[in-house]
Amino acid sequence: MKIRAIAINTFREAARNKVFYLLIVVGLVFVLSSRVVSLLVIGDRVQVLKDIGLAAINFFSVLIAIFTGINLVFKEIDKKTVYNILSKPISRHCFILGKFLGLAFTLLVALGSMMLVFSMFLLLAAGEFDWRLLIYFLLLYSELLIITAVSLVFSSFSTPILSSIFTIIVYLIGHVVWTFNEFKHRLVDPVVKIVAYVMYYILPNLEKYNIKDQLVMGESVRWNLVGYSLLYAALYISALLLLSVIIFNRREFQ
Amino acid sequence: MTTGKLPVAVLLLVVMAGFVQFSYDSQRGYFAERDVFLTLPTGKVLKVFSFGYHRLVADVLFIWSIQFYSSYHLVNRFDHIERIFNVITDLRPKFRAAYYIGSIIMALEAKDYQMAIRLLQKGSRNMSDEWVFDYEAAYYARKYLGDYRLAETYYRRALRNPSAPALIRRQMAHMVYLQDNLQEARKLWADIYQNSSSDLERNAAIHHLYQIKFELDKKMLETKIRRYRQHYGRNPINLNELRRTGLINEVPKDFSGQDYLYDLKTGTIQPRKSFKWKRFS
Amino acid sequence: MDILRGVSFQVDAGEIFGFLGPNGAGKTTTMKCILGLLRPDSGTIEIFRHGYDRTDVRTRVGFLPEYPYFYEYLSGPELLRFSARLFPVATGMIEARIQVLMKMVGLEGVGSLKLKKYSKGMVQRIGLAQALINDPDLVMLDEPFSGLDPIGRKELRDIVFHLKDAGKTVFFSSHILQDMEMIVDKVGIIFKGRILKQGRLTDLVTEYIHSFEIVFTGVAEDKIRTRLGIPTRQDDNQMVRTRGIEEMNQAVDFIRKNHGRILSVTPVRKTLEDIFLEEIQR
Repeated sequence: MKIRAIAINTFREAARNKVFYLLIVVGLVFVLSSRVVSLLVIGDRVQVLKDIGLAAINFFSVLIAIFTGINLVFKEIDKKTVYNILSKPISRHCFILGKFLGLAFTLLVALGSMMLVFSMFLLLAAGEFDWRLLIYFLLLYSELLIITAVSLVFSSFSTPILSSIFTIIVYLIGHVVWTFNEFKHRLVDPVVKIVAYVMYYILPNLEKYNIKDQLVMGESVRWNLVGYSLLYAALYISALLLLSVIIFNRREFQ
Repeated sequence: MTTGKLPVAVLLLVVMAGFVQFSYDSQRGYFAERDVFLTLPTGKVLKVFSFGYHRLVADVLFIWSIQFYSSYHLVNRFDHIERIFNVITDLRPKFRAAYYIGSIIMALEAKDYQMAIRLLQKGSRNMSDEWVFDYEAAYYARKYLGDYRLAETYYRRALRNPSAPALIRRQMAHMVYLQDNLQEARKLWADIYQNSSSDLERNAAIHHLYQIKFELDKKMLETKIRRYRQHYGRNPINLNELRRTGLINEVPKDFSGQDYLYDLKTGTIQPRKSFKWKRFS
Repeated sequence: MDILRGVSFQVDAGEIFGFLGPNGAGKTTTMKCILGLLRPDSGTIEIFRHGYDRTDVRTRVGFLPEYPYFYEYLSGPELLRFSARLFPVATGMIEARIQVLMKMVGLEGVGSLKLKKYSKGMVQRIGLAQALINDPDLVMLDEPFSGLDPIGRKELRDIVFHLKDAGKTVFFSSHILQDMEMIVDKVGIIFKGRILKQGRLTDLVTEYIHSFEIVFTGVAEDKIRTRLGIPTRQDDNQMVRTRGIEEMNQAVDFIRKNHGRILSVTPVRKTLEDIFLEEIQR
């Protein structure tokens, strides 16, 4: 299958990128250093361990999602390898899908290995294994896929620097939008109110994937929310990929 | 799928995602928001991690908190209010509105006056050229805690500011009076009267001085009357008797130069004009 | 700013078409339009009598870009394998095909060397191989001869002929005339985004024939002089030059009538270069 060929190729290319490995390694270094930091803490050491570890994994995996995606598409267009592919009987949407799947797999490997190390580390350092970590990583993975799709949209028409900036901005917005929720219905001016409502529902709402609080504080998993979060990710990613295809379809390759 | 229909599909998917978001929100309930503040870092930490945008973060938090705390349908919403306003004011130590509004919410909505006073004191420390925080703190101390000594302290602090209005001096003097510190109160009111530039104030000073003089005189006279009774087994017929028997040097007049009213039966002194500032007068 | 200002041509099946023009004339742009990488503002493009924009049309097309660049971390065979998977090629056939192609382009010894380590000539060769991986009916080559040494050019010419023998159509662009002259059937000259001339090479060249050399013997010198001017001597033979076909035929008749023997009649043609420069100067 053609999409599969491109996906595998994308993964291979990502896996050869030194920056990719660097980010994983640095992320893991942070995770492991949490042990040292936790020694400075009076009180619940394990909580600090988890906090730093999860934060590091979150931070570095987001970086990987943003930069790997952008780099790969840009490299294709800049180095003109994209000509070789598009002059063959590959429709443009196959190309985009193949790229996305390749990146998704790359992220899976990256995140999976970090999660594995973290779990083992937690087991050794604190003697506990929390199966809810899997839920957290599932949600984090969904969020990363959304971000990857965003970076794909931008890199189908923009330079890597701008694409990175825009994607980062979208990521930050995604984690602030939740604050609109309370006050949007309180606005008086109807125009402003409509704008606020529309923005709240259109902009990606990423805070729902951040269940670090619940995880570290030991609360139980709310399955209906997890379900909604995954559904949201599926819908939003589909929309973004379609948007990518639309943009890419129009693209001319000078 | 024809290419023309693609944008429609994108829109459709985004709308559907919006619906999912809506369902998520309605299931989540506000408690999830509250949990965010379980792990909100302290203001100092947050300041570092705002990478220079601490003012913006403070503003955003403040706006959010106003909306949040005016959501009357949310019970138990005040659990973390002190923490939140501490974070906001750590990020922006001179955030006037935060101190002001925060303390109002704490006092009038959450009804925790000590907490409100703490926040106001923080404001006073960080913005030493503002008298209003001490003034508000004194108000809460006086009105809701009934702690006149505390209120006096705060009024004094407010007065350190040269732009503090004259009203505060009067308030302070009144607090001193209410603590029965009558000599001090009289001195203060005398000062006020002398340095006053308004008739209103002078009139007020006169009233206070009248009342203070009355209370001082009353105390003194009634003590003497009791001693007379011990000696002679009955109340004196009039105040002159006290003078004649050497218990007092002369009969005090009230502040306006009039005689006090003496009740023979009870042996108590009443003023001609009465100002009931204290519950028991 | 327009790059193409009027490009119309036709390439028939089974022929070798040379697209000739200086740098910046619009050769690469035209090829990209054909391949669907660029969208022309107006006009139609048909390949195999279908609209060019259909993805299935490209199953029968192969393309070698001007500066080929491929995934550096793949080896030659790996690249071909990847390219093959983008076509509906039966997986069983892929390996065999790769072997054949590697041999055809002269890379059979390189094995698993990564493309990163390939020389420029080698990259060109593997590029050609990936253009042919799907056994295309139409092969499009953008400046394939540039950067090749004489041996390389000969080998490429041979491959192009080989492709023609196999019934394929070859379309290639170049700004180098010599290679083109040797192999093309049809030529299209493009300059500043416009097609100046197109047609069969022989036709174009014939158009520009301006004289004939006739080598003959056996006619008395004075007779020649009167009729055809002073002949030049070539060993024991004589040679005259005539202008135009008509004159040539008359001269031949005259020689024969005077019992002379025609040894050769050679058209003196303009080279493609002459044609090209003349067109440009118009």
